[in-house]
Amino acid sequence: MEWLGISYRAIGPELVLAVTGVLVMLLEAFSPGKKRRDGILAAAGTILAGVVALTLWDEGPRLAFSRMIIVDGFRVFFTLVILLGTLLTIFISWTFLDEERIPPGEYFALLLFGAVGMTLLVASNDLVMVFLALETITIATYVLAGYRREDLRSMESALKYFILGAFSSAFLVYGIALVYGATRTTNLAEMARLVSGSLGRAEVVLLMAGVAMLLIGFGFKVATVPFHVWTPDVYEGAPTPVTAFLSTAPKAAGFAAFLRVFSLTFAPLGIESVADQLAAHWVAVVTAMSILSMTFGNFIAIAQTNIKRMLAYSSIAHAGYVLIGVLARDWAAVAFYLLVYTIMNLGCFAIVALWARRGDERVLIVDYAGLGFRQPMLSFPLAIFLVSLAGFPGTAGFIAKFWLFKSAWGAGFPELVLIGVLNTVVSVYYYLYVVIVMFFREPREEVARVPLSRAFVATLVVTVVGVFYLGLLPTRVFAILNAAQSLLAVGMR
Amino acid sequence: MERALFLIFALTAIVAAFNVVLRRHPLQSALALLVVLGALTGLYILLGAYFLAVIQVVIYAGAILVLFLFVIMLLNLRAEEARLERRPLLRWLAIPFAALLGVEIISLVRLFEENPIPSGTSVGVTESIGRELFTTYLLPFELTSILILIALLGAVVLARREGR
Repeated sequence: MEWLGISYRAIGPELVLAVTGVLVMLLEAFSPGKKRRDGILAAAGTILAGVVALTLWDEGPRLAFSRMIIVDGFRVFFTLVILLGTLLTIFISWTFLDEERIPPGEYFALLLFGAVGMTLLVASNDLVMVFLALETITIATYVLAGYRREDLRSMESALKYFILGAFSSAFLVYGIALVYGATRTTNLAEMARLVSGSLGRAEVVLLMAGVAMLLIGFGFKVATVPFHVWTPDVYEGAPTPVTAFLSTAPKAAGFAAFLRVFSLTFAPLGIESVADQLAAHWVAVVTAMSILSMTFGNFIAIAQTNIKRMLAYSSIAHAGYVLIGVLARDWAAVAFYLLVYTIMNLGCFAIVALWARRGDERVLIVDYAGLGFRQPMLSFPLAIFLVSLAGFPGTAGFIAKFWLFKSAWGAGFPELVLIGVLNTVVSVYYYLYVVIVMFFREPREEVARVPLSRAFVATLVVTVVGVFYLGLLPTRVFAILNAAQSLLAVGMR
Repeated sequence: MERALFLIFALTAIVAAFNVVLRRHPLQSALALLVVLGALTGLYILLGAYFLAVIQVVIYAGAILVLFLFVIMLLNLRAEEARLERRPLLRWLAIPFAALLGVEIISLVRLFEENPIPSGTSVGVTESIGRELFTTYLLPFELTSILILIALLGAVVLARREGR
């Protein structure tokens, strides 16, 4: 067993998630329709997976399963972000499942299996694993996006997501094939070693083409301009809890893979090597993607009247900010940003999902008029999340952006920092617009208060506390991430 | 003998591939694709990759192509024939892509001329594939089972009847 590198410890979190997923699925088959039981089981499995992931924290960089899987701080931190996103999504879905009368078992099982894909993607050290894990995520999320079957928008969303997702997967797999052709390996550690030397001319050409394809594939998966066209339609049409999930956990996983492949494997070394030749190109392309995503995302978000579409464009803009971190090759800053983004975006969508009610009736920004003092339990947290998304000091959003811009400045991308800051100013407009509508506009008609479930209140508590804890006392998390980063740097080379 | 067989299979594949593109009726294109896949199977056997040859027949020719045929017959795609022809812009787009593919093929051929694969290797034989699948690629293999489970679950969810 030893020579195969089989280590159940190394895939502990994924095993827990997969077993819980199968359990939920089987329970649904034998005694269907028990939302409480399925939901609690799914949440417990997610928390247990988080605990198991934490036990892996102190294990230095090591490989398992014939070098398919890597155990390091990078992986553990991203796994925790994904599990947090999954857990909060389970909570957000609580009211939604009742209102839409959806069988809960399959829903929770798909969420959990999706999470298996995401955590494995973060742990992948081989392009074969990267591809399979990405497919696991996308197939689970296609179905989730189309979960409200009687709603045409939901079906359209699922179909669009499916077709464009399949298209982008094709790019990705073609890229992997070309990279394999050039390097004769799919293993990322092996590849990093190879590109630090020199290769033949034909091989370099193939590698360039392959890396370009990979870039397109990943660009689709994390929704950056110009590969973003699917995002607003899918986010608008999917059931709101699913939109919340789509915009956070899979995105964190996608960026983790992006970082692993580009910032860690094809990183420029400052010497005459293939990696530097490659980096000269991919850095330029990613810079363009970052600038375009930030600018397009923010400016188009201003024109939106539907809050889900607005948040979709906002997520494109945030993907642009994250790409700055990818360029600066500071994965700790990116990880922190994605943690913060997951918390504030899920908090936002929790309220949007609750307010939208059955069949997404109230998703326009004008529908939020007068919410302010009539139901402060909804309006004040939403205002906090929006202000944090805009990056106001005192909130987590500010600290995350600050760290990202600081490391980009240090890595020699001052022009990106400048564009990022200007874009942040633009984004304040549309985030605050919602707050103004909530507090200073009168509603067109008097609306009933929405009852709050316990799961919803739990989500709010976690996210609001998270926004302020990471916004005011971030030093502890900083220290943890920096320690993990320096450990990884030693282990890599 | 081997060379003659190679030429026969290769020529059949090329001619059939042209047919896939040039035939007007989608059904005829699909059937031409079947011939391409069959000819490729012959090439795999000549290379000694027996397992790949069998997989080619079972999965591509047997499953995927039959699915294509089903879809074409169910949708009765005859109406599409004329419409697809009138896309001059798309046709011009084909030239740069073909050029790109050409460059890729040339650099691949160069690559293999520089480092030819040693003859007598057992790539593509059942034993070597099985060994790799259950050692190096054990975890991806297991993950595939979860992937298929999700696909099944998803199909059930999307195909279920309303209001049960």
